[in-house]
Amino acid sequence: MPRPVRRIVSALALIVALLAIVVRVAPRVSGQAANAGFPSKEHGEWAFYNADIKGSRYMPFDQINASNFNKLEIAWHFKTDNLGPRPEYKLEGTPLMVKGTIYLTGGTRRAVVALDAKTGEQKWIYSMDEGRRADVAPRKLSGRGLSYWTDGKGDERIIFFTIGYRLVELDARTGHPVHAFAKGGVIDLKEGVVFGKLVNGKWQQVQIPLVEGEIGDHSTPLIVGDTIVTQSSMAEGLRYEYASNAKGLVRAYDVRTGKMLWRWNTMPGPGEPGNETWEDGSWNWTGNTGVWTEMSADPEAGLVYLPVESPTIDVYGGNRLGNNLYDTSLVAVDLKTGKKKWHFQLVHHDIWDYDAVGAPLLVDVTIDGKPRKIVAQPSKTGFLYVLDRVTGEPIWKIEEKPVPASDVPGEKASPTQPFPSKPPLFSRSYVATDDVIDFTPELRAQALENLKKYRWMQMPFVPYMIPNDKELGSILIATSMGGVNWPGSAFDPETGVFYTQADNAAVVIGAMSKEYFEKVRPETQKKQNYMPIWESESFGKEEGFGGGGRGNAPLYQGLGGLPIVKPPYGVITAIDLKNGSLKFQVPHGDTPDAVRNSPLLKGMTIPKTGQAGIVGGFVTKTLFVVGDPMVTAPPDRPRGAMLRAYDKENGKEVGAVWMPAQQSGNPMTYMIDGRQFVIVAVGGGTYTSEYIAYALPQSELPKVTTEPRR
Amino acid sequence: MKTIVCVLAGAAIVFAQASRSTWDGVYTDEQAKRGGELFDRQCANCHGPAGAGGSMAPALVGPGFSADFDNQTVGDLFDRNRTTMPPGKEGQLSGGDAAAITAFILQVNKFPAGPNELASQSMALKQIKYVAQSPGSER
Repeated sequence: MPRPVRRIVSALALIVALLAIVVRVAPRVSGQAANAGFPSKEHGEWAFYNADIKGSRYMPFDQINASNFNKLEIAWHFKTDNLGPRPEYKLEGTPLMVKGTIYLTGGTRRAVVALDAKTGEQKWIYSMDEGRRADVAPRKLSGRGLSYWTDGKGDERIIFFTIGYRLVELDARTGHPVHAFAKGGVIDLKEGVVFGKLVNGKWQQVQIPLVEGEIGDHSTPLIVGDTIVTQSSMAEGLRYEYASNAKGLVRAYDVRTGKMLWRWNTMPGPGEPGNETWEDGSWNWTGNTGVWTEMSADPEAGLVYLPVESPTIDVYGGNRLGNNLYDTSLVAVDLKTGKKKWHFQLVHHDIWDYDAVGAPLLVDVTIDGKPRKIVAQPSKTGFLYVLDRVTGEPIWKIEEKPVPASDVPGEKASPTQPFPSKPPLFSRSYVATDDVIDFTPELRAQALENLKKYRWMQMPFVPYMIPNDKELGSILIATSMGGVNWPGSAFDPETGVFYTQADNAAVVIGAMSKEYFEKVRPETQKKQNYMPIWESESFGKEEGFGGGGRGNAPLYQGLGGLPIVKPPYGVITAIDLKNGSLKFQVPHGDTPDAVRNSPLLKGMTIPKTGQAGIVGGFVTKTLFVVGDPMVTAPPDRPRGAMLRAYDKENGKEVGAVWMPAQQSGNPMTYMIDGRQFVIVAVGGGTYTSEYIAYALPQSELPKVTTEPRR
Repeated sequence: MKTIVCVLAGAAIVFAQASRSTWDGVYTDEQAKRGGELFDRQCANCHGPAGAGGSMAPALVGPGFSADFDNQTVGDLFDRNRTTMPPGKEGQLSGGDAAAITAFILQVNKFPAGPNELASQSMALKQIKYVAQSPGSER
């Protein structure tokens, strides 16, 4: 090689070497995470449904704060009307933001869409037409979102559940299925799902039909390292008239290949510990017991945390006597093997549709001078169940206390239920005398008179009943719809404080009509060989419901449409997990129009009541942000709902920005090119769904911006 | 001249209809009864008996529901029922059935019945305003 050429080559080599050093060093110089290929909060990225796999919904931002929240403007919005065959009004999604791209689900076909995070410009869209399989699916519409995975070297994938319960992997850059994953990027999750069937007089667990078999999920698969963990859920509670259905399960897959790594059945089979909690062989035919909301994981402990729901039939357990493990339990399973490590049952023999709901929150706090790794499970019961997340032992005493028996034929309610001694309830667990409406003495007297017609025991866990001459039903609160539901809760990992919105007014009449009881009683179920719904003649045609008879219940007589409990109807609660104490509780949401405009309250000044409903929020350096679950039309602003910011220290509302409709999906926040955005899903009533991105106007942004990341 | 009279008469009818609200007896008891039977079969699975609400579908009575439709029109409610419900079978309800179910929803929300049935055309129903609070406050 001639000398000049050799010199040039040497110089080039030197430049390449220097460049390599620059490339390697650059991320650290700009204060980025150790491996720049992975998303991180420091880069402003919201890369998991709950911001992380510990369920925090926390981002360390403070650009949007108490001083400027009211100045937020709509940066862009994304209407989902045309993503499916018809518009949607129930968009529950939370988008992700990674490397400048927003990924979200939307529309009545549950399309996946990628948008530019700064402008909302559409990059690609993917959806699958599943025909009848989607039409008869138990969990329709757009779902709650999707998941992201990367190898850190440029392979980026989006993972989600279709309406028809397929797990799909897409190339995050193009939206095309990843062909290396399973069969053409798709796993049929219905394969391997079983239900109990009598075959030649013997019980067997057989494959559900791939089209009609009832299973699906709205939630997002959990990505832990290179493992995908998948949930299972069935149709909404309370509609069940059949003791049999698909059995709940959790499975793990290799994120690269789609190979199944393990499977954990939520109902232990013959020979497994816990099977004895299904008396008289009821394990054979009982279904559901899925894991339908978000899950969490602690990779250091090697554990995945699963909130498990109740079995069929939601409010009648005569076909499944016993404690019914792992119904309404928090279960920790090994991330590598799926083997159960420990469990804690929140409600024994659940006959209220309590479920365990919302991602378990994995918090590191110092309690009594000792650093503790805890898991806090929110619930519909109003209790926050706080356990050591490695051992499953309660942090504060959880006592078994006696609860009422059931007088429904064939039913046997659990004689005791667990009551956490700490922290205090975050929402009502029963209707106390003190909770009854007291706007005026007349209203209160009327409400108390109405309550006399019911079984009103002023404690939680009062079983449903068949109405009789003296009592029209049991007075319950929460159960199906109260407390915390799928939106879950949040926490600040720096301070160990838990934040949640909760419904505080979901009064339920625990009554099952005689007709309904006749359908669900063991004699009937047995006679029809415990068939599941898809084997019934009415499947897919018209479906009956015998849950509780015609409305206009005497419970609400003379109350002019006002709730029978007094405000607050919905609350924001903060609990200090370092000592289990209540930090603050404030009403959330404007006073509903029906209360503010009630002729029965004319001339009275009604303080802010908050609103019933279930919504989630996020936490930043200084704020807890969550929107109203209801639209209102107060005189001082246009009809709509507000996205509100609370000072996370004291619960004081420090800002609010107008939304054209109620919050329908949990908000998230991210930072790009030095600008913080907030996205929230809204819709309902007459307003079709959309995602709205808020940000501060350019004039309000700090002058110094961080390095853009691509 | 005749034409002008007809046009004026037509305008008067439209005007009269535009001022109607949910408090003017816009459906019949018979229609709501029929709607209730349809509701039990088609809607109650998710929305609960008499629209009391379930864990997957919102209540069709109470403050949240009335806020959603207050100052909108009965046509908006009819359109929701006809074009987006029930999920998986959207658009399959006939106009008459959707009107009967709409009538039932008005009934469980304590709006009075009247001598005439709700029409089964969205455009006609858009002329009936959904007003949550009774103008006479006797609700």
